[in-house]
Amino acid sequence: MKIKKIIAVKILLVILVLISGCKENNDEQDGKNSKGAKTIFITMIAKSSANPVFLSAKTGAIAQALKISEKYGKLDVVVNWKTPEIENASEQAGIIRNAIQDGTNAIIVSCSDIDSLTSAIDKAVDSGIPVMTFDSDAPDSKRFAFYGPDDLEMGKTVMNELAKQIGGKGKIAILGGNKEAPNLQERIKGIKKAAADYKGIELVGEFYHPENETEAIVEMLRVQSLYPDLKGWAMVGGWPMFGKELMNKIEPGKIKIVAVDALPVQLEYIEKNFAQVLLGQPTFKWGEVSVETVINKIHFNKKVEEITRLKIIPVTIENLGGWSRQLKAWGYKDVPEKYLGM
Amino acid sequence: MGSKEIHKTAEKDRISKGQKFAYGLGAIVNNLLGGAIGYMSIVLNVGLGINPALVGTLQAIPRLTDALTDPIMGYISDNTRSKYGRRRPYIFIGAIFVGLTFALMWQLPAGYSEMFYFWFFLIGSIIFYLFYTIFATPWVALGYELTSDYHERTLLMGVMNFMGQFAWITLPWFYAFMENDRFFSDSVQGARTLAIIIGVFVAVVGIMPAIFTRERFVAYDKEVKVKTKFFAGLKKNIVEFSKGLMITIKRVEFLKLCSGTFFLFNGIMLVGAFSSYITIFYVCGGDTDQGAKYMGLFGTITTISTLAAIVAVTWISSKIGKRKTFIIATSMTMIGSILKWFCYDPMAPWKVLIPAPLIAIGMGALFTLMGSMIADVCDLDELETGERREGMFGSIYWWMVKLGMALAFGLSGFLLNATGFVVDFGGAQTSSTFFWMRIVDVGIPAIASLIAILSVASYKITEEKSYEIRSELEKRRSKIQTAEPLIQN
Repeated sequence: MKIKKIIAVKILLVILVLISGCKENNDEQDGKNSKGAKTIFITMIAKSSANPVFLSAKTGAIAQALKISEKYGKLDVVVNWKTPEIENASEQAGIIRNAIQDGTNAIIVSCSDIDSLTSAIDKAVDSGIPVMTFDSDAPDSKRFAFYGPDDLEMGKTVMNELAKQIGGKGKIAILGGNKEAPNLQERIKGIKKAAADYKGIELVGEFYHPENETEAIVEMLRVQSLYPDLKGWAMVGGWPMFGKELMNKIEPGKIKIVAVDALPVQLEYIEKNFAQVLLGQPTFKWGEVSVETVINKIHFNKKVEEITRLKIIPVTIENLGGWSRQLKAWGYKDVPEKYLGM
Repeated sequence: MGSKEIHKTAEKDRISKGQKFAYGLGAIVNNLLGGAIGYMSIVLNVGLGINPALVGTLQAIPRLTDALTDPIMGYISDNTRSKYGRRRPYIFIGAIFVGLTFALMWQLPAGYSEMFYFWFFLIGSIIFYLFYTIFATPWVALGYELTSDYHERTLLMGVMNFMGQFAWITLPWFYAFMENDRFFSDSVQGARTLAIIIGVFVAVVGIMPAIFTRERFVAYDKEVKVKTKFFAGLKKNIVEFSKGLMITIKRVEFLKLCSGTFFLFNGIMLVGAFSSYITIFYVCGGDTDQGAKYMGLFGTITTISTLAAIVAVTWISSKIGKRKTFIIATSMTMIGSILKWFCYDPMAPWKVLIPAPLIAIGMGALFTLMGSMIADVCDLDELETGERREGMFGSIYWWMVKLGMALAFGLSGFLLNATGFVVDFGGAQTSSTFFWMRIVDVGIPAIASLIAILSVASYKITEEKSYEIRSELEKRRSKIQTAEPLIQN
């Protein structure tokens, strides 16, 4: 009798396990997890997983996914980080194609190259997967939204800040990075447009170079030797300040520098007055805003703006401490400790 | 009685525990009603898309109507003669109707224009605040007259304030409740349901003070009713009302209490938003999640400390008197406010929690002692005028608190802009902006606390004086009639 009871209990347990197992399978097919919440998978494709700018965006995306999942009990948002180690547009296109096969619910991508990504984005959208771009857009694709800077306005800001630094007169030059990059060209256009408003400022030219610290410094020094009376640099990227080398090559404050980007490695240039203004981008928000926009669009069926511009933050000695703390809060690991208490 | 002798409350002056509890239930309802619209009105913007400026207008207009209705209700209640008393009939009727109105005003139908919602809610709000006044003004006045004993009054106010804190603990959860998609399709539906729950709670719990308390002053000064024509009667009432209002606002000891409350309470309220901004953007470097965690902990510590402070203040005031206790408690708030300057440390965010218990002491003491002290002023007023006007004193005092709070919220945004704060910059504000934000956050409550201390420092109704007044009053009254209870307790 006792053995029969034990066997009966065991059979019951097996049945229960089977039932629960089957239920779990059904839930997965319905896109619901074991708690009965609907799971939304968002594939996030940035330009490079070695670049701290994009790791900060990843932190923002995951934080927003968690926040939404906590707020709405019936919703579970999962961010799948699928980013090439180094910038590679065709690899990004391949990731998009794989994501279509994997059954992702949405894709957010920062495009390394417009042409390669436009067709991949269109294919995903045609397969019923909404795509949003951030940081770097593919404007002619079928993506439903873009979140990033207005490069033309950013260029104007660079020029206006530089004009303030040099008192509205003197020779200036533009450090332009990669001549083929459309976003950098747009910034340069903005600088030129704004420079036209300053009668006392003479723009000696725009100078291009491979996008790394050494080549950028070489180009800077070459231009400075050509124009010894140069008063200021308008930089559309922060390449010469991606290490400490430049501090050994120029005199602090002699030539005023205003540059785009304000990464932790560049902060010492502000502290020691080698650069006067850096234009920081809220990179954490690339991920945060993108995930929120995707959920509003695909889950809540809300009307979303096609283009949302992020606000640029001018970083000077006045807000070096605040900016440093903000970078740390956004997930940057290499913010110098000495600035956090300022 | 020697000046250092502590008076013991006579048995006949004690309020039973049941009556104290019943009166305290009124505090939960009062605070709930006072805070609910503010905490729920986010739905008007987020759920129904009403412009934030219109939402602000919806909250401001009732403050203007309060200015008129509160003193009138105080006057009406003070001059009511019924066998159930001057206060309890209004509390009973007011609680039922304010609960009903609150439930109805949030039943906003879907699919209408912004202006439809604006007018729907505005009309609802005005009716709601009218019934709220009918409930709250007599309820406040009732607290001033439940006992004539100097210490028992403080004990009653301590119980009332302690119980009332539970409403403030509940209120921050309203938004999470309305937004919970397990229960509701959207926040508007959540608001409809929450309003019904609150409405029923208010109607059921709000009538308890009317049922289970006894009024002390009913009809000992019964007037002979003289039939007058309507307009003559109206004119007489307006003249009497105006006269009473002027006497009330000229009562120096009352003004000292009003000034103390105005500065202490609004000094703290004014910088409430600043503390949040500094915690998130300065101390936590723009990390909103970490900032929210510390603000949540700050709130929890403040609540616990406030509850503890109410108990402590009630006990201490029975030993050293109300004025000294107020000065000590407010000094603690001042020290806590100054301490914030040293505790806002981005390298050690946990330090923001240190000042919380000290700041809470003053706030815990404020409404415990002030209620009790206004009751003492009402005695002095009766001695000099021959009238008991708790309703008038209570209504003017609380209107001043409400108006001050509205001003504080408005001024707060203006001050934040003046510091140079740019919301898009997040944690990357300039050092100068952070400096001025901290100056305002520390300086205003510290200075306001000091002014509050100075205001009350010369308050003259000491324990000894209070018992002298009472003795004189009792000589005048041959007999104090007690109202019939609605239900015998």
